[in-house]
Amino acid sequence: MFSRKEFVVMNENDNVGIVKQPVDKGQKLGPIGENSAEYVTLREDIPFGFKFALKDIKEGDEIIKFNEAIGLATVAIAKGELVHVHNIEGLRGRGDLDKGV
Amino acid sequence: MSRQFLGYHRPDGTVGIRNNVLVLPVQRQVNPLAKMISEAVPGTRVFISSGELGRPRNDRLVLYRTLVGLGLNPNTASILVVGTRKEAGYDELKAEKIINALSASGKRVEVLMLSDEGGFYNSLGQGIRLARDMVWEASQLTREPAGLKHLRLGVKCGMSDSTSAICGNPTVGKVFDRLIEAGGRAVFSETTEVIGAEHVLVRRAKNDEVGQKLLSAVEETERKAKETGEDIRATNPIPENIAGGLSTLEEKSLGAIVKSGTSLIEDVIQYAEQMPRSGLYFMDAWMSSLSLPTGYAASGAQLFMYQMGGQGIPGREFPAPAVSSGIVIPIMYLTGNSNTYDRARDIIDFSSGPVLEDLETLDEAADRLLDWILKVASGAKTRAETIRFYDPVELYLQGPSL
Repeated sequence: MFSRKEFVVMNENDNVGIVKQPVDKGQKLGPIGENSAEYVTLREDIPFGFKFALKDIKEGDEIIKFNEAIGLATVAIAKGELVHVHNIEGLRGRGDLDKGV
Repeated sequence: MSRQFLGYHRPDGTVGIRNNVLVLPVQRQVNPLAKMISEAVPGTRVFISSGELGRPRNDRLVLYRTLVGLGLNPNTASILVVGTRKEAGYDELKAEKIINALSASGKRVEVLMLSDEGGFYNSLGQGIRLARDMVWEASQLTREPAGLKHLRLGVKCGMSDSTSAICGNPTVGKVFDRLIEAGGRAVFSETTEVIGAEHVLVRRAKNDEVGQKLLSAVEETERKAKETGEDIRATNPIPENIAGGLSTLEEKSLGAIVKSGTSLIEDVIQYAEQMPRSGLYFMDAWMSSLSLPTGYAASGAQLFMYQMGGQGIPGREFPAPAVSSGIVIPIMYLTGNSNTYDRARDIIDFSSGPVLEDLETLDEAADRLLDWILKVASGAKTRAETIRFYDPVELYLQGPSL
């Protein structure tokens, strides 16, 4: 995990960061890795504790947090966009998909 | 100097952090009698269950383990067993059997059977007489020093949000690591909230058998979830998690398991099953805060730690989800979210929020938490202990109800 003033990233392999305070659209956050020179400009307001994309994520790609997949992108997510239930889905406990049990 | 607390040393070698007399109705029909005795006598606690009648054997065994476990809990000084007749009821729950299991601890066990006392009114008088004497006698015992190895903690996370995984749960995890290293016992649970993180957790199983038990427990819970025909996200993560920034069950689970620290998992136990020796245990059980504290108390934990997120709860007020469902063990609320702490100083005992703000390290927060736990273990009240309220306890019963 590494921590900046406005956000944390749980693992260096993650493609999402978490803001430690509400951060407004247009704000530039970074650098986004320990040894990175890269910044992310937020494309929308991110509420406290919510996730934003550290890079462009394609539809169907894994969302990585804690160096683990926490779900899949249901649409393409651009770097700097909010990542939440509107654009990602879980893969486990999906009784709606798997009625065969 | 090694850390210590001041506790009540019991005849079975355990050490209580509280000194309760437990009024224990072993059949549902005597619940009102037990409750009236307990209300008349300060210093007692009473366990009112939703009853044994029409429950299948597995659920009756849960009830048995709970009744006996609450009596054996280190915080219980002595037990007043209340029933109709010693030989009444289901085999698993015969008063005689429960009395024998409790007496093996060497604690004082008194027996009040309705039919022996000549009915309800005589029993009420005799019960109050006994309970008063038991409370008086228990109070003669004074607190003596005890090492960390005598401490047994249970943890649950609740109303989780992003801070839970960043500082709230990791702080508890570090305290658990120190406790286990010192020879203590600790328990965590919430099988649904292992779904999506079992591959991480199973690496810490003591051996293959324990690992298999863990995976089977998770598999069975996911099977039941799928049987509903719904996306589990409609149920868990709960709405407060989603409003707090958590998006999927996998995300919640990966953050939740951090509260167990990094020790090996000694065994997987059932709801209300004893932690038999030093080490970290996973209890295969339901997450409800009206259920889990009772299960942990029956497993021998002396303190229930409730690690809150809370960002998803709107408004200025922050109500406590449970205050007394541990029956004989106090609930201690923690948070890693400074907003939550500021909204609920009347219920929350500890905040690791400063870690998120880079004001302290996780190790410093864990030190501070362990010191606070030892203070509570030595008699300081938790915030939840300062209100008199009886939570409706829901044992983890799986039915079918017949």
